[in-house]
Amino acid sequence: MATKHLRPLGSKAKRLYVNLMFQVMGRALQAVSEVDDEVCNEARPLPTGFLFQMMVMPKGASLVIEHVGNGRFKYHSSEAPRPIDLSIKFKHLEHAFLVLSFQEKTSVAFANDRMLVDGDISYAVRMTRILNRLEAFILPKIVAERAVKAYPPNLQLPEKLISAARIYLKVATHFIKTARAS
Amino acid sequence: MSRQYYEFFCPVKVIAGKAALEHIPYELTSLGAKRPMIVTDKGVRAAGLLDPVIGACEDSGLEIVCIFDDVPPDSSTSVVRTIAALYRKEKCDSIIAVGGGSAIDTGKAVNILVSEGGDDLAKYSGAGVIKHPLNPFFVVPTTAGTGSEVTSVAVITDETKGVKLPFTSSFLLPNAAIIDPRMTITLPPHITAATAMDAMTHSVEAFTCMAKNPLSDAYATAAIKKISQFLPQVMDNPKDTDGRLELAQASTMAGIAFSNSMVGLVHALGHATGAICHLPHGLCMSLYLPYVLEYNLETIRQPLGELLLYLDGPEVYSATPASRRAEASIAALRKMRDTLYQQCELPRTLKESGKVTYDQLEAIAHMALDDGAIMFNPKEADLKDVRAVLENAWAG
Repeated sequence: MATKHLRPLGSKAKRLYVNLMFQVMGRALQAVSEVDDEVCNEARPLPTGFLFQMMVMPKGASLVIEHVGNGRFKYHSSEAPRPIDLSIKFKHLEHAFLVLSFQEKTSVAFANDRMLVDGDISYAVRMTRILNRLEAFILPKIVAERAVKAYPPNLQLPEKLISAARIYLKVATHFIKTARAS
Repeated sequence: MSRQYYEFFCPVKVIAGKAALEHIPYELTSLGAKRPMIVTDKGVRAAGLLDPVIGACEDSGLEIVCIFDDVPPDSSTSVVRTIAALYRKEKCDSIIAVGGGSAIDTGKAVNILVSEGGDDLAKYSGAGVIKHPLNPFFVVPTTAGTGSEVTSVAVITDETKGVKLPFTSSFLLPNAAIIDPRMTITLPPHITAATAMDAMTHSVEAFTCMAKNPLSDAYATAAIKKISQFLPQVMDNPKDTDGRLELAQASTMAGIAFSNSMVGLVHALGHATGAICHLPHGLCMSLYLPYVLEYNLETIRQPLGELLLYLDGPEVYSATPASRRAEASIAALRKMRDTLYQQCELPRTLKESGKVTYDQLEAIAHMALDDGAIMFNPKEADLKDVRAVLENAWAG
């Protein structure tokens, strides 16, 4: 007798969480490129029109951002307008959950073979630095220290709070605009 | 530093020891190969290193169908296409790469084209693009350092676009690596020293960087012990066949270690210095190793301290307080470099190399920051940190 396999509830919850985190991170990457000079300087050498994707293999949640020039990013949801230039692919939903719930640092996830890089490695290194900088801004220090290899020693509380507030405001605004447009 | 998860993979058959080359015909025919091609460079051929390989095959009635002996030090897509055309014209069915890193990488790239078809090597560039097993591929290393005979990567320059194309696939791993001391017995002292220090660096970084694991640790420590013991012996007596074999095996073990655990900042700096200043890779490794270990020290104190056992032996290890072992390991490596400098003037600083100018340090630092190896360095390094390591490495 054929029976339909039921997906466990925990797996569904993780899928929803990862999906939501990608939506937040995509918008936050756009926001941090508008707020922080250091991120802007890191992003500037990327080619204009460069498309960066993070996704869960084989066809799971994803985020796509574009470098629109001068160090600024634009969030494209999960749809890429052209072929992707650089993709960081989590091999499984569980691996994405470990990283996005800050149980495993991004650098440790790379070392643990949780992810594949498809594209120019030097750009992947640069994008990892940008993701680390973003996480240092938007996460409480105690959580950020679990997410990044080294918390930036020169990031003082006032700068962190002001930047985080601006990033979260931009993320919320983008969410509202998206909801109104749909 | 412990890892909750790791992967380890090495399906290469290692054929090592006296008369190892004579096993090639049996191993090739057992894979159904009857028409092998040799890929090598002019230096290897001029040194007479092909003679025992060809002789070993002919004695068993296996004809080497053709030989391409013009692989340049920095191989290119056009060279790979030329060799692939020759392979197809002569209806070859297997490749034996004889040489150092460039000949081996070229052999891997040729095998992609002749197995997958076509002439566009670039379309196979990247990680995991190759999906099928390739034709039989054997490697006979003629240096003891790169470990390319057991790695699943190759780098080939696309001269039309001016970029280096990386290829990563487990299908690039050779079917067999043949380690025969006859292949390294004529290596000049400075190349023996630089390539051995390359293998040493592979091992030390494999043991101290983020992706270390119990299996790569075992290979790394065994390689360090062999290099520490046999490099001085071979430098004193270059014709020491047993010592040469030990160094060649150490190089292969170091290759297995680092290809399963990756490397760190020493390699990031070495790749950048090689690209900008054209300094040989092994020399770069020897040059940067102690300075990077000093930078990483507080993050790797425990594993680096453990290495003293393999670098200086049990007596020194037990006589050194646990809290000083990491520093003692760095001191042992510095002592090794000082001895090599006295024996063959292997440079210990960028200044001593005579090929790097001070104003190139900034460019080296920027390029090193974007190198993939830096991801696996145990301590985060920003531009200021990398620049500080380079300042230390400039004059010691």
